[in-house]
Amino acid sequence: MDTVVLLALLGSALRATAPLLFAALGGMFSERSGVVNIALEGIIIFGALAAALVTYYVELPAITQNPGASVWYAPWVGVLAAMLVGGGVGWIHAVVSIRYKADQIISGVAINLMAIGVPAVVLTGLFGNSATSATITNRLPRWGEGAFQFSPLVYLAFLLVPITWYVLFRTPFGLRLRAVGEHPEAADSVGVSVTRMRYAGVMLSGVLAGLGGAYLSIGGFNQFITEMSGGRGFIALAALIFGKWHPLGVLGATLLFGAFQALETQLGGGQLLPPTVVQSLPFILTMLVLAGFVGRAIPPKAIGKPFEKG
Amino acid sequence: MSERLAVAAFALVTLVALWVAPWAAFSRETGSRAAVILLPDRVIDFTGRTEPISVPGHAAVLWLSVAGLAVVAGGAALPGRARYGAWLAAGVLLIGTATWGLAQFDAAVETRRAQAFQEAIAPNIADPRPNQDAERLRQLSEQALTRPVERSVELAREAGVVVRRLPYGGSAPGFAAFLTLVAGAAALLFGLRLWPRAGRVLDRVLTAVAIPAVSIALALLAAAVVILLLQPTPLGRDVVVSGPVMALAGRLDTLWHAYYILFSGSLGTTKGFFDALSFATPLIFTGLAVGFGFRAGLFNIGAPGQMVLGAIGAMFVGLYLPGPAWVVLPAAVLAAAVGGGLWGAIPGFLKARFGANEVINTILLNFVAASLMLFMLSSSPTFAASAVRVIQLIAWVVVASVVGLLVPPIRRVMRISPRLTLAAVAVVTLVGAVVVAQPRPGDQPVVLNLPFKAPGSEPKSFELSEAARIPRLPAMFGIDLRATPGTNVVPVDAAAWIAGLLAVLAFVGGGAVAAVRRRGFQGRILAALAVAAVAYAVLAAIGWRALPLTIPPTNLNPSFLLALAAAVFVWLFLFRTRYGYELRATGLAPKAAEYGGANIPRNTVMAMAISGALAGLTATHYVLGGALEDYALRQSLPTGDGFDGIAVALLGANHPVGTVLAAFLFGVLKNGGSAMNIAFTDLTRDVVSMVLALVVLFIAAKGFLPDRLTHPLRRAQALGDLPEEPTGGTPGGDVPVVAPKVAATEGDR
Repeated sequence: MDTVVLLALLGSALRATAPLLFAALGGMFSERSGVVNIALEGIIIFGALAAALVTYYVELPAITQNPGASVWYAPWVGVLAAMLVGGGVGWIHAVVSIRYKADQIISGVAINLMAIGVPAVVLTGLFGNSATSATITNRLPRWGEGAFQFSPLVYLAFLLVPITWYVLFRTPFGLRLRAVGEHPEAADSVGVSVTRMRYAGVMLSGVLAGLGGAYLSIGGFNQFITEMSGGRGFIALAALIFGKWHPLGVLGATLLFGAFQALETQLGGGQLLPPTVVQSLPFILTMLVLAGFVGRAIPPKAIGKPFEKG
Repeated sequence: MSERLAVAAFALVTLVALWVAPWAAFSRETGSRAAVILLPDRVIDFTGRTEPISVPGHAAVLWLSVAGLAVVAGGAALPGRARYGAWLAAGVLLIGTATWGLAQFDAAVETRRAQAFQEAIAPNIADPRPNQDAERLRQLSEQALTRPVERSVELAREAGVVVRRLPYGGSAPGFAAFLTLVAGAAALLFGLRLWPRAGRVLDRVLTAVAIPAVSIALALLAAAVVILLLQPTPLGRDVVVSGPVMALAGRLDTLWHAYYILFSGSLGTTKGFFDALSFATPLIFTGLAVGFGFRAGLFNIGAPGQMVLGAIGAMFVGLYLPGPAWVVLPAAVLAAAVGGGLWGAIPGFLKARFGANEVINTILLNFVAASLMLFMLSSSPTFAASAVRVIQLIAWVVVASVVGLLVPPIRRVMRISPRLTLAAVAVVTLVGAVVVAQPRPGDQPVVLNLPFKAPGSEPKSFELSEAARIPRLPAMFGIDLRATPGTNVVPVDAAAWIAGLLAVLAFVGGGAVAAVRRRGFQGRILAALAVAAVAYAVLAAIGWRALPLTIPPTNLNPSFLLALAAAVFVWLFLFRTRYGYELRATGLAPKAAEYGGANIPRNTVMAMAISGALAGLTATHYVLGGALEDYALRQSLPTGDGFDGIAVALLGANHPVGTVLAAFLFGVLKNGGSAMNIAFTDLTRDVVSMVLALVVLFIAAKGFLPDRLTHPLRRAQALGDLPEEPTGGTPGGDVPVVAPKVAATEGDR
């Protein structure tokens, strides 16, 4: 392979990594606080939907007067909407699993199920077809040179790695978040509100996963399509485990999975392997990791358990 | 206390609804436009071309309903027994009034239709064409008022006149009538408390169904918002909504008709009922699969993947095993179970051996399975020569590692430092891969032409051999739907069917007798056979050997019975065997079960394997049963049923009986979703999938109900039925409602 192809491959790998990274870092906030967030997949979808719809309606007045009009702020409002909606869906997950002490996995499954039905209903109501939204004209800009032209959200995703690390390991908030996930009773006894920290963790994870969704619909593409996420939420969850719930580990894992996805698209023509084979490799790899062949993954101790204040 | 408030509030809401909501609808057209009747005798026409109908006795219906509702609402303020008496009386009154009123309405509509029929054939009587029998038509016209209109139309066709489109079709009860009926039923139900024993039974039932019932109700309520937002009131041409009364009536009619469509097809027609059962069949399997896992404390989200592997297994046997049907079909069913079971056993093994979380592993395996199916059904997947060499290398490394682990001297060397060995193997593999991956001259890509893939770009396999097919219901009665599409009427040996059913009932019912009298298994079989023989003789003597039976075109096939059998198996296994007891104990308290001697690793693998096998059996419906257009493995296999199984299991409280009922409800809703697609312009079946998701969410949150209502023990305490009696053996916590009771009664086995 010559350099051009290799660079293109690297570029698309980084692009494929970004949404995974958003979701996985989001998942980390949630899981570090002790709440399993299997709903990432659904939140990505909701985020993507919100971003596409809001961008479309913000640019609509200008577009109707002059097709192709540039409304630079439209996609940014869309990004904001995706964050809000993601946070909102995260809030639902938080309410059900923290306030009502539901099984966190069931709650997550329910949100993922909703992410199949609700977008279809909304799209039918707005555009009369249940699969795609209208296309938008103003997508997020691209910054960079040559093969390395990325949406700002890609830079943000990678920037979030050190930020997350700093927040989790160098701030009181991060310490409390981790304490709540490891030993909620102890945290409670020194006056940390377990409930509030967990709400914060889950909603933050929703905001980040929503960003991942926004990247999919208005960063990498120009409309929302159902099943746009294609299991990225679950891959992110796997990456989170693969990366042992640590920002740097997560970065490595998502890069690996992103590379696989880039390979899948680059080699899609069946030049090397059938794409279906490449598709399943990250999943098999993660299972091997989980089985401990590549080092043990130890989750936060109190994960999945509702906190009963004694 | 809350019960009195709720009943009174509901009665008041119904009172309001009697004034503002449609009480009945008629002339329902395509696009769901209709004319509606509001009590007393106000007709609002949304079609723009319907003559109003007056319901005889509408004033009586209105005022009797109002009186009944007033008694219900006022009765809530009365003390104990007087209250229950009042509710009982009012309940009878309300249900009676509403039923009578609706019957009057039906009669009025039927009369109008008969008159319309008379008008329609009048020209033909006056001036018959050569092929028309005027005398017969005159007879029909005279008898029209005493005969069901549908029948008259049929007879007229025989006499040579085709009557199309009579007005006033599609009449149905409206929202107000429905609410009146529900209010009456509720008053009757709670009035039962007049008898303390009935009251206690009622309490127990209410506690058991509180969470699912409230969750479903809340989800349907949420759907109401969506329906009202999406679907404008369907209006005929030139119809303008004038005034708030008409607007409100229109909105309420839209909402009500949406719900009506959702349920009426499945519960009101044979075809709809069969279709609902057909939709329910795979859900029973996946619901049982997930519920079985839950019982053992395992969360099996892998049903989609296990469905795929089951389907693949069934396909292989169905395509390649030669032989008669009685060999191939059971083998194919078994292969479906084995395929799903093996796929389920993988995460079970990984959990038992390495402690890897089964939730994430089952999710990952879903993706692997999806890729696998896509690979198998894609047209000529291509490998580059170097990729083939890398795969060969990896295979060799794996073989070498296994050999190394089995040969003691090498094994000893490897055991010195497992990590170092692993690293060495990894490095060798990587370096080797890079070396062999280098392109060589004369490299040709390897194209796999999978033998089972049907030619063409469509991702599907060849059709299964005839021997492996489970016939659909019409085919079982000898109907070829391609020759005679639509509903067929065929003579059926009803005697054999009924005798068989009675035998099964005798066998099952014999269980109760056997439990009391301690009779054995053989006795029950003999009794069942005797019942069958006698019943068959009697029915055959009456002449029931060739009853005409209406068979609608449906996908329903005997895999539904297999699903019921699977439910019975799960029940027997969980609640009547030692293994099942061990599994449930492990699910409730793993540490205690282990201390009690349960083999946790073995149980984990076994539970996941059985769970997977149940999910794999969906292939009997989708592949062997031909529910996807034809008898083949298709990529369109609806693996989403695996996720819906989670909802079904939750709704059914992980109990086989509950699971079957929940699956049926979901089947009804899914079938209704399709009907909704057709009936409305702006509503789709996605509304139903949203409702299902909400049901799961609400059940997870225990219906947002306080413990006092959902927890048997705390409810009893709150009601004061349970003094300070010590209640040993009832574990607290959030286990399913049914579980503790069973665990407590069987604790001494």
